[in-house]
Amino acid sequence: MKTTAKEAKARILRHQRIGADSFRLRLRCPEIARLAQPGQFIMLRVSEQSDPFLRRPFSFSRVFPPGGKMKRTEEDGILEICYKVVGRGTSLMTKLQEGQQLHVLGPLGNGFWAAQGRKQAILIGGGIGIAPLIPWAEKLQRGRAQDRTFRNLNEPSAVVVLIGGESRDKILGVKEFKKLDLEPQISTEDGSLGVPGMATDLLERELMTRGHVSVALYACGPMPMLAKVAQIADQFDLPCQVLLEARMACGMGACLGCAVKVREEDSLKNSQHAPPDAAEERILCTSAFAGGETGASSESFVQDVSQPPAFRYARACKEGPVFESREIIWE
Amino acid sequence: MKSADRPKGGSSLAIELGALKLRNPVIAASGTFGYGEEYASIIPLQSLGGIVTKGLSLEPRKGNPPPRLAETPAGMLNAIGLENVGLEKFIQEKWPFLRKASCPVIVNIFGNTIEEYAELARRLADVEGIAGLEVNISCPNLKAGGAIFASEPRTVQKVVDKIRRATSSFLMVKLSPNVADIGKIALAAEEGGADAVSLINTLIGMAIDIKKRIPLLGNITGGLSGPAIKPVGLRMVWQVVQTVHIPVVGMGGIVTAEDALEYLIAGATAVQVGSAHFINPLAGLKIIEGIQSYLEANDFPNVTSLVGSLKTKRDTGQPV
Repeated sequence: MKTTAKEAKARILRHQRIGADSFRLRLRCPEIARLAQPGQFIMLRVSEQSDPFLRRPFSFSRVFPPGGKMKRTEEDGILEICYKVVGRGTSLMTKLQEGQQLHVLGPLGNGFWAAQGRKQAILIGGGIGIAPLIPWAEKLQRGRAQDRTFRNLNEPSAVVVLIGGESRDKILGVKEFKKLDLEPQISTEDGSLGVPGMATDLLERELMTRGHVSVALYACGPMPMLAKVAQIADQFDLPCQVLLEARMACGMGACLGCAVKVREEDSLKNSQHAPPDAAEERILCTSAFAGGETGASSESFVQDVSQPPAFRYARACKEGPVFESREIIWE
Repeated sequence: MKSADRPKGGSSLAIELGALKLRNPVIAASGTFGYGEEYASIIPLQSLGGIVTKGLSLEPRKGNPPPRLAETPAGMLNAIGLENVGLEKFIQEKWPFLRKASCPVIVNIFGNTIEEYAELARRLADVEGIAGLEVNISCPNLKAGGAIFASEPRTVQKVVDKIRRATSSFLMVKLSPNVADIGKIALAAEEGGADAVSLINTLIGMAIDIKKRIPLLGNITGGLSGPAIKPVGLRMVWQVVQTVHIPVVGMGGIVTAEDALEYLIAGATAVQVGSAHFINPLAGLKIIEGIQSYLEANDFPNVTSLVGSLKTKRDTGQPV
């Protein structure tokens, strides 16, 4: 998954409001689109001025690589990102005009990886956090037909999408998932759309009613949601990847600003769900998963709660932004 | 010679910091450029005047709890907490890459005690290819109740003297702006045996989330960098240049070639570019190009002739 980041200029092809406080930017940037993987991100310079000073990190919500299979001239070498207005930088972004050029650096970080041997993927997105799960769903859906890596996802409903948000106007991505022949389940906190409650309620219900044999979880959203997803993953003994948000300065692993508290490698060694950082290790994972075991009794996740785990700070930009949920020390 | 007659790239950018010769005066600042390898895919490292590596201590350090960054007007606060891999791992895992970078590499060091500084200097003296050391004195002296080394001239002289005795490497002392009189500190560094001083380190600051009434940084306070601090850095460089006889390396808020030129005119022999890398990884290269163009457009045969060329009314005897 190691790719070489490029510093490039991207032209804004489309800039649309997609929700109450959310927008989508479609950028033409073949250099980065060529390499971009779901879960990876770009650092985008919001202004040509020195204020606001820092670039902003955004995960891809769609990638159309140049010369890709779905080649349509207007979608060639294109990236999309979605953003929610949360502060000064994103407020300024709402004023960006189609045709304008932006400085972008990417693709950065490590994206999602296929949890080997798992027959079902459940994607859980909260609010704007659904965005990076769209290209991942696309990859899983296409991959099921074409790619050996995803061959285990062979059941008709192998990819399940759960979307949560505060209210109807904050539910994003439904149309995109439908285009991928996926029927997302929706929850809203105020009950204005779908099931009243949280995306994690949907997840628990899904795992209880449909069973959880050979399920892998992929999640992105607010920290409390991710912590809950991680807890559910532990409870059902499921591999779970979370895409974390962090304040970043460089995006390149140099400034050490985007620290995430993770367990020391030694304490992770026994975890069969630890992320692979080399192809060989991925193959090892496959054999460990092949049986599609159910065991919530698996010893590997039993953690000694009597003393705090040995920890270190990982760089979200370089070692993440996608982490195996058990790596993270949720506080 | 008129600039039109001069071949392209005619004005020499080469500078000397004591015995250390650099191909141009633009150095990547410590803490913003990792161990070089992080940026190597974007920037040809050999085009930079030099690289200063992330602050190194004898033992590895985990650093501060997040959040470690906060954006502020025209700048940023950081409270990384001097996280680093430690000397052993630096030599084993980081140095082999840096050594091949075809770019002078200055290793930034810090310690909890004077002895630790000396020990680092001694052990790095055995590592072949290191261009020099930059000493971060903006950290607490554990044996002196945690007072910052940088704040007391006598302590500064003592620590620099100890390091000087431990190594014959090029020695640059990085000064903190959070002191009463930076000129006195710079002089103490020179008297201790420093070959150069670099300044300024970050200014201590803080920022608050008023909705939650919590500090924006996990460490509560942090170091301010970026364009917001440039006037302070420039003033301090100018002040130190009047005081010491060793070369001064200026930094603080340099984003463009114009910023770098201000520092050079104020008397800095070279500059360091730090946080600017975050908004533009190619900032260093742009600055080098910009300095070159300025020198040629203004008929300076070399960058050295620009250094310290500030004209003030004081020089002409007129009232300031």
